[in-house]
Amino acid sequence: MKLIDRYVTEVSKRLPLVKGRKDIENELRSTMEDMLEDRAQKSGKPADEAMEIELLKEYGAPQKVAETYNPTPYLIGPRLFPMFIMVLKIVVAAVTLAMTVVTIIQIVTLYPMTGMEVLKVIGEGLLNIVSASIGGFGNVVLVFALIERFAPAAEIKMDEDEKWDPTSLMKEPEPSDIKPWEPILAIVFLFIVMSIFNFNRQFLSLSYSDHAVWFIGFGDFVADKQGSIPLFSAAFFRWLPLMNAAWLVEIILNGMLIRSGRWDISTRLLSIGVKVLQIVINVLLLTGPFILGFTVEGLTAIHLDAETAQVIFSAMKQGMPILLGLGIFGSVVEIIKTGYKAITQKQSVGA
Amino acid sequence: MANTESLENVVLELRRGVITLAALSQLGTEQYGYSLLKQLSDLGLEVDQGTLYPLLRRLEAQGLLESVWKLEEARPRRYYVISAEGKKILPKMKKEWAGIVSVMDKMLA
Repeated sequence: MKLIDRYVTEVSKRLPLVKGRKDIENELRSTMEDMLEDRAQKSGKPADEAMEIELLKEYGAPQKVAETYNPTPYLIGPRLFPMFIMVLKIVVAAVTLAMTVVTIIQIVTLYPMTGMEVLKVIGEGLLNIVSASIGGFGNVVLVFALIERFAPAAEIKMDEDEKWDPTSLMKEPEPSDIKPWEPILAIVFLFIVMSIFNFNRQFLSLSYSDHAVWFIGFGDFVADKQGSIPLFSAAFFRWLPLMNAAWLVEIILNGMLIRSGRWDISTRLLSIGVKVLQIVINVLLLTGPFILGFTVEGLTAIHLDAETAQVIFSAMKQGMPILLGLGIFGSVVEIIKTGYKAITQKQSVGA
Repeated sequence: MANTESLENVVLELRRGVITLAALSQLGTEQYGYSLLKQLSDLGLEVDQGTLYPLLRRLEAQGLLESVWKLEEARPRRYYVISAEGKKILPKMKKEWAGIVSVMDKMLA
């Protein structure tokens, strides 16, 4: 019986901290002794070690036996999992947004700084986002694991069924389907924009020709060009890597839309991410030096009279912050709209 | 191979569903775990001890069974018997089972 005793001890070590642990041990021992006795009677000889080994082999590994007594074999069970995922998404999104804002504030308050310093702050910001998200994830898991462990099932009823009203289906849902040409067009447009801003900056200029016309772009292709000034300043192109990142994410988003053919939770969340990035870029452009390449001298060099050049320069200087501000406002509105659609879509899917 | 495994899983699921009813139906008179296991086996329902013992504990926690330790043949044994609450729900479970059998018979005929 030595082996049975040792086996029971091994099982006991692995038992969850449930009430009646001693009871389980005793019952297990008594059952195994009964089984052994039964086998000995059937074989017509007294129980020996070989018989014990055979029995233990059939009973299975102590870990396996202990697991059968575990009332909740999950860290977070199916009852709480949907809510866990929802809270987790909210927490990670909030942490990411908060850390992004903190990084932007750091950049703005520490300005002016060199390119390397900016990259350092952005790098630290990204690391903060990752570590804070992991921290947030850990906390949410801990809270839900504690609820799973200590809150009796009866106290947390998932009363979705009681709350859910079938008449809510009568409301026309927001269309989630998208026309396939929309994301394709968006990708083509984004590639053109990226190509111009990265490799063909000559298109981003304001020129004057012999025919007394001003035109934007194609400066290098017009033979009778008289003068040309860049549309954007060096301060604008400083943020080009960030803009490239936003455009790339947007291309990925549109690629996902082509594949799925409709808006779903992940594409909506990615779209929110793009908008957040756009806000960051607009804030950086807004708080930094003037982003247009116009100067009064430059404008007069392309055959504008001094007074008109001054008026245009002043209008641009004052108008640009308003435009960027409107861009930020638009992105915030889009984030709210997309977030609302994501939540309502989630609820209708969940229901 | 995969088909055999799937079949085994389905059969296991089917059996798991009826073990509660089977155990309650046999515990009108008190029995210890191993004797119940053997009785179920003799009646044609093979149940794994790793399934039966935790189930008995759960049914006791739900108030459907009662248990008591007795010393027999120099060996302590835990005897289970259906409780008053268990006796109340057993006829309902039987009725439910009869309904399921009747429906399934019709479906599988």
